Amino acid sequence: MSELRQINVSKNGIPKLAILALSIVFAAGLFVVGFDQGHIFSLVYGEQAFTDLYLHELTHDMRHAAGFPCH
Amino acid sequence: MKTSLFIIIVLISGAFAGLIHGTVNFAIVEPYLDQAIGIENQNLFESGEEEDTPEFWVEYEGYRTWQKSGQILAGVILGTSVGALFGIVFAYSRNALPGNNDVKKSLLLAGIMWLTLYIIPFLKYPANPPTVGDGETVVLRAILYLSFIAISGFAAVGFYQLSKKLQNNKKLFALIGYGVFITAVFFAMPENPDEITAPMNLVNEFRLMSVLGVTSFWASIGIILGLFWRKLSPQKETSNYN
Ligand SMILES: [Zn+2]
Repeated sequence: MSELRQINVSKNGIPKLAILALSIVFAAGLFVVGFDQGHIFSLVYGEQAFTDLYLHELTHDMRHAAGFPCH
Repeated sequence: MKTSLFIIIVLISGAFAGLIHGTVNFAIVEPYLDQAIGIENQNLFESGEEEDTPEFWVEYEGYRTWQKSGQILAGVILGTSVGALFGIVFAYSRNALPGNNDVKKSLLLAGIMWLTLYIIPFLKYPANPPTVGDGETVVLRAILYLSFIAISGFAAVGFYQLSKKLQNNKKLFALIGYGVFITAVFFAMPENPDEITAPMNLVNEFRLMSVLGVTSFWASIGIILGLFWRKLSPQKETSNYN
């Protein structure tokens, strides 16, 4: 049984490319939603916010809800 | 399983689970965010930083609508991202996970990751509604939170590796080891520097909703990726333990 599993592991060996691609998705997504800064308050209180900070505000509520540090 | 198929089902599972997470948050977390931001607005009026004018509320409604709609989109982005990590870990650990089918294995892994990457860090650095956090400390708080998650996650992997080296009847020691280690880290890490000035009721209810939301994500990803895997894995026919 355990030998069979071993065979499955190698047959099912995860290609490095897949791991790399998924790692990039993980890091990029986590950064956008969780840690990208510079949005705090500015959208309500400053007009400049309507350019760059649009995206940041979009992730704002999820940031709070998912437990990431915010304002 | 082919590489491309593997990547696709992982991303789809993550996006789906994230969609569920965003929708759940939209329903149960948003009311608390509104309350907290209401307090924040009140403070701004009192301090004179903002004036309680119709223009203020028009602008406010505009950006709140945008933020709320973002909840769901951000859920999909975050879900895809965390789902990618989940897919990697699942691919590596699937054969070692107990259980006789992929859904059980995947759910079990989701439970482990929910506990080590979310619940334990949450106990140390719980989620806070708006108005609680100090903008000045946000980078520090981000570093603390991320470090604790990373330490917990790597410790879980490390103690799992250790457990493989132990005899069957001693495997429990690895689990205890993780428990002792993470408890030590828990007390060694600095506290969240911010003082909570918002009503504690609001904060606690917000936290509960936040946990429910994140829990809905982990439960969903466990079930969805498990189902995809069971359906699409070529081993379904060849292996004799499904
Ligand atoms: Zn915030």
